[in-house]
Amino acid sequence: MTPIAMNVNGQRVEALVEPRTHLADFLREHCRLTGTHLGCEHGVCGACTVLIDGAPARSCIAFAVACDGFDIRTIEGFDDDAIMQQMREAFSREHGLQCGFCTPGMLIAARDLVLRLPAADERRIRVEMSGNLCRCTGYVGIVNAIRSVVEARRAPGETGAPEPPPATTPAAASFATFAPTPSAASAAAATAAPAATLAKQGWTRFEESFVVKRPPAEVWRIFADLPAVAACLPGTQLGEHDECTVRGKMTVKLGPIVAGFAGSATIERDEATMTGVIRGAGADSGTGTRTKGEVTYRLSPGDGGAATRVTVVAEYSLQGTLAQFSRSSIAQDLGKRLVGEFAANLNARLGAVGAAPPPAAPASLDAGRLLWAWLKDRLRRLVGR
Amino acid sequence: MKAAIFDYVRPRDLAEAARLLADAKGGAKLLAGGQSLGPMLNLRLARPRLLVDVARLGELRGIEARDSAWRIGGGVTHAQIEDAAGRLPGAEVLCAVAAGIAYRAVRNRGTIGGSLAHADPAADWPLALAALGADIEICGISGARTVAADRFMKGAFTVDLAEDEVVAAVSVPKLSGGARWGYYKFCRKTGEFPEASAAALFDAERRSARVFIGALSGAPQRIPALAAAIAERGAAACTREATEAAVTAAAPDLDVIDRRMHAAVLLRALQQVVRA
Repeated sequence: MTPIAMNVNGQRVEALVEPRTHLADFLREHCRLTGTHLGCEHGVCGACTVLIDGAPARSCIAFAVACDGFDIRTIEGFDDDAIMQQMREAFSREHGLQCGFCTPGMLIAARDLVLRLPAADERRIRVEMSGNLCRCTGYVGIVNAIRSVVEARRAPGETGAPEPPPATTPAAASFATFAPTPSAASAAAATAAPAATLAKQGWTRFEESFVVKRPPAEVWRIFADLPAVAACLPGTQLGEHDECTVRGKMTVKLGPIVAGFAGSATIERDEATMTGVIRGAGADSGTGTRTKGEVTYRLSPGDGGAATRVTVVAEYSLQGTLAQFSRSSIAQDLGKRLVGEFAANLNARLGAVGAAPPPAAPASLDAGRLLWAWLKDRLRRLVGR
Repeated sequence: MKAAIFDYVRPRDLAEAARLLADAKGGAKLLAGGQSLGPMLNLRLARPRLLVDVARLGELRGIEARDSAWRIGGGVTHAQIEDAAGRLPGAEVLCAVAAGIAYRAVRNRGTIGGSLAHADPAADWPLALAALGADIEICGISGARTVAADRFMKGAFTVDLAEDEVVAAVSVPKLSGGARWGYYKFCRKTGEFPEASAAALFDAERRSARVFIGALSGAPQRIPALAAAIAERGAAACTREATEAAVTAAAPDLDVIDRRMHAAVLLRALQQVVRA
């Protein structure tokens, strides 16, 4: 527990809080100010909007401990505020609410809008209020209410000139051509055609290939050496294993998220075609995500037999919290980085000429793209599409 | 949704923050505005042992004019940049970009350094600062270093930042008077992360033509050939066919819908530049 002190609606409040307690919970449960509503609880809906040091903010993603010493103003703190008085009346008159759940956040955001943008027109009001979601009104009453307050506060005779749009390039002369300095870093040679992706329903598939600067027979032997293979796979911890079964754990880092998939796999190898198939399944208890998949690798001679081309085809499915991201482009992003790091580590391990030195610690694969898509998807579902 | 248990510390200065991050050996996360980290903590997708709160560090908060650049502290909020409109000669574009980020309640707390370090592929600052040719000042236990913004982001949520390092500031070159820029993003809902985004900067005095597209699977991608063509030929080079070809070259893995969307967004950003 951490001691904090803050001003809430003009009154000093002291308390011991757990660092993980967010400001909205602190206001509701410690201060008993239940006018601050919690809708989505991850910063999307705006219902929990309060003023932190005078500026609107989401109280569900601000931690109380981080607001130590600040001035907090909740919907209960505006009884004597002239603009809020006007705003309350306007919301009633214009039917700016039905169930009222979003209203505290709406009012605080709307009051800030009126103060910052005294010339806002309807479009600007809609843009500015887009961070506060209402599921009842269709927004028409809310926008009308705010507009009526903006107009009432305007001096008589003053026209409602809209705010200028965000500044673009000064509208000076027309575009004058010039010879640019050639860019040193020309675009990455991104000429590879996207791999055909025909996956089972609900599965993602990607195909990648790389070259190991050793003959196929040697690479084939290395691929049978599970500790060696695991050492080259970022974030992999090898458990019990024999020739055709393996247990282990793989850690995937998604920006600030770390998911550790523990599981097991079987391995089939066919020396005649230099092809291997790994089938496995795993689960991450932290995020509650399960995965199963199949990885096929095929070795073929390259560079006149001195090198080996390794082609990897992976197909997998995910279920659980992190499952929303099984889009093929995401899997490609993940797959390319994983295979790329594996190839670099393998080449380094084999001491191939010209190979990059091994990275200090192939701790885990950074697959943030997955998280990004997942969050985007979640956000989208949250706003009702 | 409540965050899992973590410890919280508010270091006195950047050096202490770097030390705390280093000592935690990967178990700590830096907290600035918390507008991306906060949701992940609440959803329990992120479970750091320790949050190191740098939101109040004065060292990160300043906006200063240098000879040929503006130096923006990593802890400066999007709203502060938005509200600096009219007071950042040569960097007006920053104010316009800031004003378009998410919502005011988010801009009031979210920081430019946090956005860069978080490196969401669809975020505004990684794209805009790459196009502007900005430099990123990084501070860690072993000292300070500078990285070009267009090389800082390595992939989605992946940047050139060690465990103990903090984005201390960004240095944005001042544009010359005749410079033109364009910035366009397509969002399904105002304030949401875009489906496609593009930024273009043409500064004849500095012979600089920089065009990037964003909201891809990883870092923003540079569009060098089309940028050069537009610098040399102006509006004549700015066609739908040209942007489709440029997007295909820069991001060959896009499906047909994404490719169209990125090409249209790139075209609109470029039209802001070349229109009379």
